[in-house]
Amino acid sequence: MKSMNDYFIGYSIILLVYRNIVAAIDKMFLIWQIAFPVVYIFVAGYAYSALIGDQGITIGSLTVTYVSFLTAGMIGFNVMNGSTIAGAIIWNDKRNGMFQQILVMPFNKIQYVIANLITLILIGLGSAAVIMVIGFPTIFHDINVTLWSIPYTIYALIAGSIFFGSFTIILSTRMKSSEGYNVISNGLFLFFAFVSSAFYPAEGLPQLLSAAFYLNPLTYIVDLTRVGIFAQVSTFTNIEVVILGLLSSTVFLIATRSMSKMEA
Amino acid sequence: MLNNRISNQAHSSIRDRNGPCISVTNLKKQYGKANAFTLDGISFDVKYGTVFGFLGPNGAGKTTTLKILTTLLSPTSGSVYIFGKDIIRKQSEIKRKIGVVSQNPSFEANLTVERALDLYGLLWGLHSRVRKNRVDEILSTFDLESIRNSKNDELSIGQRRRVQLAREFMHGEDMELLFLDEPTIGLDPSARRMLLDYIRKHVMSGLTVFFTTHIMEEAEYLCDEIAIIDNGRIIAFDTPTGLKQKYGGANKIIEITFREVLNQSFVDLLKKIIFSSENMDGDRKRRVVTTNTTSHIDINETNPNGITITVNNAEEVISEILQLVSKNGMQIESISINPPSLEEVFLSIVNDDNNLRLTKENEVNE
Repeated sequence: MKSMNDYFIGYSIILLVYRNIVAAIDKMFLIWQIAFPVVYIFVAGYAYSALIGDQGITIGSLTVTYVSFLTAGMIGFNVMNGSTIAGAIIWNDKRNGMFQQILVMPFNKIQYVIANLITLILIGLGSAAVIMVIGFPTIFHDINVTLWSIPYTIYALIAGSIFFGSFTIILSTRMKSSEGYNVISNGLFLFFAFVSSAFYPAEGLPQLLSAAFYLNPLTYIVDLTRVGIFAQVSTFTNIEVVILGLLSSTVFLIATRSMSKMEA
Repeated sequence: MLNNRISNQAHSSIRDRNGPCISVTNLKKQYGKANAFTLDGISFDVKYGTVFGFLGPNGAGKTTTLKILTTLLSPTSGSVYIFGKDIIRKQSEIKRKIGVVSQNPSFEANLTVERALDLYGLLWGLHSRVRKNRVDEILSTFDLESIRNSKNDELSIGQRRRVQLAREFMHGEDMELLFLDEPTIGLDPSARRMLLDYIRKHVMSGLTVFFTTHIMEEAEYLCDEIAIIDNGRIIAFDTPTGLKQKYGGANKIIEITFREVLNQSFVDLLKKIIFSSENMDGDRKRRVVTTNTTSHIDINETNPNGITITVNNAEEVISEILQLVSKNGMQIESISINPPSLEEVFLSIVNDDNNLRLTKENEVNE
């Protein structure tokens, strides 16, 4: 009896993507993905709004409320959080013996690599969509999406998923112990989260801190996400597009190489 | 339904069965050019519809061979054909027809047993209705009903092992060759026997099994042919009976239970009989093949009345022992003479090979 795999090579990748999503997403992950940004938007967002008063935040020529600013930032932030699952999938597959088992089934390493990359993009976009829906009531009065601006947001979300997914994949393939993996990923993600423009604007910061912000890919991701949502495209926006593209491509290539070298 | 399936499988797999199921010729594997060959030119064939036992001590090359046969590793040189197809060129075609239960655990931690089985069936491309029936059937056959809704992460090692084994049978009719790498690790005796019988039933219907184990009773129970590998070379190959005849030689194991507890002076007299006979006649030397290589005589630790003697001229020794027993006024409750077990033969073969290798190395050094 011939199966779909015999007729359509891509079907194997679809099966592996489905398997990744079913096997990797559990209740805790979903709760984490929703609860964490909700607390930031509805607790920190309104609390800080009260602190800074009615002055709002300037994005290009537009001034938006801090809650709107934060919600748009949380979309990029959640892409980062969601993409970490890509590293977790590989880490768990290695630890639980499923990587080897999959390779003795009718799948090869290239299919496994592609399936993981597609999974991380899907989860990244899914996470962004969740925050978009949850945060919509806080942002809808400031949204100014145009046909020309929205591709910037979509680009940021996809490139962001690829960057952070690839980053965690590299960590998971290189690290030997789960303690090491957790310490390094938690430490780095703390830097990514708070030394970025996700929570506060980079303008007006001390020069050193501002420079540190722009060493962080999350800054480009949230900047471009906001550019798309509030339609504030500038020359610097296109520079950010190029920088994010280069960073994501480089990390993606390293991740692909690391996965290809993984031994069963 | 299970019988129907086995019967269908038998029909489908009997087709096109010319030649061996697995054919390995002069297979070599070297990890890094500076290292010695892990596999040093091994060759063997596995017939369709049989269980092939692949035994060897730790580090002998079993896992490397298995990894090559299951496409996880590439050989350095030599050829491997499975179902008459080259393992390098026709990898994906071969992989569709093989099942692998590796020595290390593999499981989807977040999924329940039922969901994991279903997902595994999906990965094999099975239709949802077929999957559902098969999941129910496997849960019942492998006695997993009570844990069907438990997550793999919550299971004991033995339960997880059973799920791992059961999962491979989701593969169904397409599976013609099953690789089992020490499959009974962590299983209790009843689960172990159930598994061996289940495999046997499938083999009778046409499945071919490549089986590695350290438990010789299992190999003896299940295998049609056995290859013993050591230091990357096949050092013995035959049926279990053939191995015992060929390598056990004339050795016999005499087990005697006395009515009274054995005392040391009597044991010393027994030893004297055996050793003096050995010293008198070089051709009649009694060679030990038991694990206890320092003595011809093993005192049964759990039964102080029992003794086990391994010799290659049992009939002569028995008459001498009987004379000694009568002279010392002792009484025998039971006596039996048996050929050596596969484990004893295995140890003998591996020890002889190691001794031979060491002798050769010493000669080269000198």
